[in-house]
Amino acid sequence: MTESINPPITDLARGHTVSRYDQELAKLRGIILEMGEHVVEQIQAAVSALVSREENLAFRVLDREPQVDFLALDADEEVFRVIARRQPTAIDLRIVLALSKIAGDVERAGDKAARIARQSIELDALGGGEDLLSPRLRAALSTLDACACCMFERGISGVARFDVRIALDIFEREPALYEASHAVRALLSDAEQEGLSARQTVCVLTSAHALERIGNHAANIAEQVIYVAEGQDVRFRNREILIETLRHRTL
Amino acid sequence: MITTVEEIQRSTSTAMRSGELARVRESRETVGDYSVPDARMRCRDIEVWYGDKRAIHGVNLDLGRNEVLSMIGPSGCGKSTFLRCLNRMNDTIDGCRVSGSIQLDGEEIYDRALDPVPLRARVGMVFQKPNPFPKSIYENVAYGPRIHGLTTSKAELDALVETSLRKAGLWDEVKDRLEAPGTGLSGGQQQRLCIARTIAVSPEVILMDEPCSALDPIATAIIEELIDELRANYSIAIVTHSMQQAARVSQRTAYFHLGDLVEVGETNQIFTNPQHRLTEDYITGRFG
Repeated sequence: MTESINPPITDLARGHTVSRYDQELAKLRGIILEMGEHVVEQIQAAVSALVSREENLAFRVLDREPQVDFLALDADEEVFRVIARRQPTAIDLRIVLALSKIAGDVERAGDKAARIARQSIELDALGGGEDLLSPRLRAALSTLDACACCMFERGISGVARFDVRIALDIFEREPALYEASHAVRALLSDAEQEGLSARQTVCVLTSAHALERIGNHAANIAEQVIYVAEGQDVRFRNREILIETLRHRTL
Repeated sequence: MITTVEEIQRSTSTAMRSGELARVRESRETVGDYSVPDARMRCRDIEVWYGDKRAIHGVNLDLGRNEVLSMIGPSGCGKSTFLRCLNRMNDTIDGCRVSGSIQLDGEEIYDRALDPVPLRARVGMVFQKPNPFPKSIYENVAYGPRIHGLTTSKAELDALVETSLRKAGLWDEVKDRLEAPGTGLSGGQQQRLCIARTIAVSPEVILMDEPCSALDPIATAIIEELIDELRANYSIAIVTHSMQQAARVSQRTAYFHLGDLVEVGETNQIFTNPQHRLTEDYITGRFG
């Protein structure tokens, strides 16, 4: 097959011959992105409520939680519809499967935001004032929040672009997440010095754990981004080896 | 955040390009391993010309034993032309020339000394449109064995007709009306009758050229089930325009484009993670 013939111009950006198919995939992805935006706002509001002791903010987070759940249902419905109507293959199939899993991770991240809000409300019920949390504990929680929130936002950007570099960036941030989480736990291990009761300590610890889990959901999203872009399922792979492989590939 | 269809298409394109470079290579060489160990048919450097026009460009492809190989591609890509090379059906077309090597169990089928008539018994063919002879159901199946001298008695022929109709999954539906005309059957039954007719002459390979394109979904499902059963005894090469059918019935899939064999591989891999961008374009419906 040495003689070449003029290959047709196959502009991959052109989309499907059936444009309605593109609209359906775009709608599905749009739902996930909208969920992501809501969840980012929820996380930020929940952590603000916790750190700044703003009870109203915490209640607002709980009020808004069903929005994300309803969007998750919409996403599921759209996944069923696309599979039933279009029988997606290759990258389309990977996109649909990945978005279905990502919708689950985003929805669960939203649940974690609500969990933090509940802990904040419980702290208020336990009689915690504005200065309940020490400045260094607040700072440690803010650092953990920054790590988790940044990873999650990057995850949503990954859904928008299916870019392996974004996934790599998320994986590279994981050690900082665990370090920040460890710092909060270390402070709470001496609850007496922090001036917290056992129940108050559990509330803060639960919130810190929820933030760490949000970072984990972001990493799950990053795995799906790689699945779409590379066709490789990298779940359960050794993270260090994976990061090295991705660094080499994206150079 | 991006929300418009155009932006999402663009980002999908980015994802497609961000994969391994080999996955979207523009090369005209076949991607994937076209050979199989202990192949039933082995095709090398196949070129087909219709007069001055070359329809097939140096295709290499093996057909394994007890496998279904599906050939997909847009109209005019050469998949049917290639299929017809496998039992020298192209010999009947004026101005058609075939070069290269096609071996059936190690025997060169384009050898001048080889008679194409017994070859077409060994490599049977089922066509797009059911084409039973204007004869009885029985005669449709008995005709081939009779002219090839495969049976010596009426009882033996009766047994062969029954066996063939059973293998084609048609016996129970026609056993009480074997003398009825074959053309009186439904489309799906006629196609299964044609398959029974093909099986009756004990082929090694069955070629199918869009065998379900004229059938409804129920008849199609019955034929697909039959193809899966026939795989136990025969090698099957099928040309189909239905990618879902290719994904359902075959173990390997070959994608043709403008006379080139672009990619061949395990069906699961072709439909989930094709390596060539032309294959990906085609099976995802991005072909304009």
